[in-house]
Amino acid sequence: MSTPPTLARRLNEWGLLLGVIGAVIGFIIGFAVGTHAIPYSFDEDNSLGSDPGILLGYALSVVGFLAGMGFLNYPIGRLLGAKRPTEEDNAYMHGEGGGLTRYFRMTTDHKVIGLQYLVMILAFLFIGGLGAMFIRTELLTPSPTVANAQSYLTLVGLHSTLMIFMASAAIIGPFGNYFVPIMIGARNMAFPRLEALTFWLLPPAGLILLSTVFLGGFTTGWTGYAPLADQNVLGMDSYLIAFALIGMSIGLSGVNMIATIMTKRAPGLPLSRMPIFVWSVLVTSFLGALAAPALIAAVLMEVFDRSYQTTFFVPAGGGSPYLWENLFWFFGHPEVYIFVVPAFGLVMEMLPVFTRRPLWGYRVAVGGMVGIGLLSFVVWQHHLFVSGLAPSLRPFYMFSTELISVPTGIIYLVALGTLWRARTRFTVPMLFIFGFFFNFLIGGFTGVFLSDVPSDFTLHASYFVQAHFHYTIMGGEVFALMAAIVYYLPKMTGRTMDTKLLRFQFWAVFITFNGTFISLISVGILGMPRRVISYAAYLQPLNISATVFAYGLGLSMALFLGILLWEVVIKQKVAARNPWESLGVEWQVPTPVPLFNFDQVPVAWSLPYDYDTGKPAADFGPAVPAFSGA
Amino acid sequence: MRNRATAIRVVIIVWFILAVGGDVALAFGPIPPGQASDLASSESLTILLLAEIGWPIFSAVLAALFFTMVVNRTAPPTEEPSAAALRGNTRAQTAWIAGTLVVVLSLAVYGTVALAIDQPGAGVPSQASALAMPTSTSQPLEVQVIAQQWWFTYRYPTYGGIETPQLVLPVNQKIEFNVTSLDVVHSFWFYALGVKADAVPLNDNVVTATPTKIGTYRIQCAELCGLWHGNMADNTAMVVSPSDFAAWIQQETTLDAPIMKYLLPYSHTYEPSPTIYGS
Ligand SMILES: [Cu+2]
Ligand SMILES: [Cu+2]
Repeated sequence: MSTPPTLARRLNEWGLLLGVIGAVIGFIIGFAVGTHAIPYSFDEDNSLGSDPGILLGYALSVVGFLAGMGFLNYPIGRLLGAKRPTEEDNAYMHGEGGGLTRYFRMTTDHKVIGLQYLVMILAFLFIGGLGAMFIRTELLTPSPTVANAQSYLTLVGLHSTLMIFMASAAIIGPFGNYFVPIMIGARNMAFPRLEALTFWLLPPAGLILLSTVFLGGFTTGWTGYAPLADQNVLGMDSYLIAFALIGMSIGLSGVNMIATIMTKRAPGLPLSRMPIFVWSVLVTSFLGALAAPALIAAVLMEVFDRSYQTTFFVPAGGGSPYLWENLFWFFGHPEVYIFVVPAFGLVMEMLPVFTRRPLWGYRVAVGGMVGIGLLSFVVWQHHLFVSGLAPSLRPFYMFSTELISVPTGIIYLVALGTLWRARTRFTVPMLFIFGFFFNFLIGGFTGVFLSDVPSDFTLHASYFVQAHFHYTIMGGEVFALMAAIVYYLPKMTGRTMDTKLLRFQFWAVFITFNGTFISLISVGILGMPRRVISYAAYLQPLNISATVFAYGLGLSMALFLGILLWEVVIKQKVAARNPWESLGVEWQVPTPVPLFNFDQVPVAWSLPYDYDTGKPAADFGPAVPAFSGA
Repeated sequence: MRNRATAIRVVIIVWFILAVGGDVALAFGPIPPGQASDLASSESLTILLLAEIGWPIFSAVLAALFFTMVVNRTAPPTEEPSAAALRGNTRAQTAWIAGTLVVVLSLAVYGTVALAIDQPGAGVPSQASALAMPTSTSQPLEVQVIAQQWWFTYRYPTYGGIETPQLVLPVNQKIEFNVTSLDVVHSFWFYALGVKADAVPLNDNVVTATPTKIGTYRIQCAELCGLWHGNMADNTAMVVSPSDFAAWIQQETTLDAPIMKYLLPYSHTYEPSPTIYGS
């Protein structure tokens, strides 16, 4: 840059520091106002402050953080009559010439945001995984040893909530943000500032959630059931604010992705020729945009119950615990498909590459994902089969839940059809895809037992449920995440982590994962309830087995992270330009991807799966010149 | 290609042995939650049935995945090209979708019928006041389960509403459990009887079951209810003979006599105390 940077740019460069300062100021103001100005008659004896103080303090600290980061500059500037940003301003905001520093400020480049997401997801996964190790250590014995009841429940709440945060964005965050615009031939997202916001809500959410340990923790687990939540001390407020932030991130990300996919596709790219991964992101985005508001509403009602003495969920005041359960699971069930539909999309995107043939049944695959999306809104009461709520509706929810196995089965049909009589390249990503299908199959079949009301009577709220959703989230989504990291890192960073050791790592993680959760399926069948620190003595041998395998699982996950850091950050092993010989358009653009992806957007588009003819997804014509700035 | 045909045959034979062997093993294995009540037996039967149907399908998909991914694998240097792609094969897709749909529909019908037999009108109290004393073992005896942090109390309205910390039930007598809570959401889980019902304040959650085996059993809370949720368990629940039950009722009635006048009148729900929420 030859011209001296303007004040606005200087501020943007120092955004992270200003954000922290803003957060501190916001917290102090909110805490003071909440503590002193809101009449508060709960005689909770807590020297750390009152619920309104903490709630308002956290809320305003997030506003202060985002303001410091520069999220308000554009809207306020425009309101005050500032000119539209120039091309040059946009390129700057996009991170042009920013080097490494652009990862630490607000940028509107979806590729930067994708990598920011990846690092944040891995951090959540790491911290949440440590929590799991502590939990398994405690459960080595039938009575409390290393933890006490309070710290154990807080640990359970932190592990589960943090992992839910991680899983909500694990695939759509890094890979959806990075690759959707490229795959549809867009130069940018529809709402790039909004997209940046969805990422920058995550660090405050994670930190606020973790701060619960200084506020007494919370005993409700990730489901936050009222009226237990009303009883909890200040630590509950951390959970509420953090979850509301994640809800906003999910919902806003959905809005941005829908608008992008609907309006920014290249000319000549109809919906019917979009890569299957983009379809999965589209379905997921509708789920997020429609389901997250229910969560945010529920959380706000609980915030009011805790600070303004409303009684939405308090039975003694005319409220109902069922209201929370309904709102929460109305969000909570689509949420599990927010986790796994992008994983379906990614896996189906990679299968043709490794089988060297077209995706078989593209249309039914799209139909399957849309079907999953629609059905996922009418099944939530399967979480409430034994709750005593509307028993006469149980057959309907049993039917709708079992019906979901039809569109889910379609994903397996498409995979098997694509694989049928193919010569499969058994690369590392393909190993993880195999693991994905294996684990998710167990997750699906265990789900059948939970969808059936009579068998759910005995399995509900037991470790069987816990193992079931770990099979779908960890065995499904996280295995797909690991496949995608190995597969896409060469594109995202120009470096590769594909080594021999990674094959060993796969088998280690695959075996220890199944060892852990087969043990836990068994303790569930034998009658061990979830979230207990004490259990019946006859369950100890299986719990020891689960813990020993879980240690192995923890080590092998750490090995993955270690290989990633060693190969990509330390050794910086350079990757081939298109190591998997993919025809996808994301592999046809240069690495690193130019600032605005395309100089000339190709017009002739096809599905990127024509491996029998070898025709790439988009016709670039002559070599694309790199972006040259303004 | 001869090798491939052999491989397919081997995979099919292995799958067949696995499927049949697994189903036979399931038929003879103990299926939870056991046979200690009619409800538990019905749940065991459902689980067995789902497992018997599910296992061959599960192992078939696994075998197909294993065959297509692992047996057919290749490495880039000495690559064999894939066979011609399967193009949109509408027949296979329709058959697959129709097949899964049929399985799902029959499961849903079976589940609904089983539910209707096990729990006719479940969850809803059969009448506004407590049931009358049963005149036969097929008429339900009402037992109220009151959950609070962090224990269960039981009331027997047909025996004057006596209240006990221990659950004792007569064998082969149909029991109607009326589950409610005084504070937060709990869940009453009598594993051996196959009974699980959330205890929600101001709600009366009804489950019926007929215990069929005399013995001592474990009861625990199955919904996270705060600090001592893990310890909200009790190993002393008993199913006893009718004469032992009568004796036990006699003894509890005498024990409870001095405190009966302090107990709230029996009702299906009790007003939760507002003080527990800290206000
Ligand atoms: Cu669900
Ligand atoms: Cu409880």
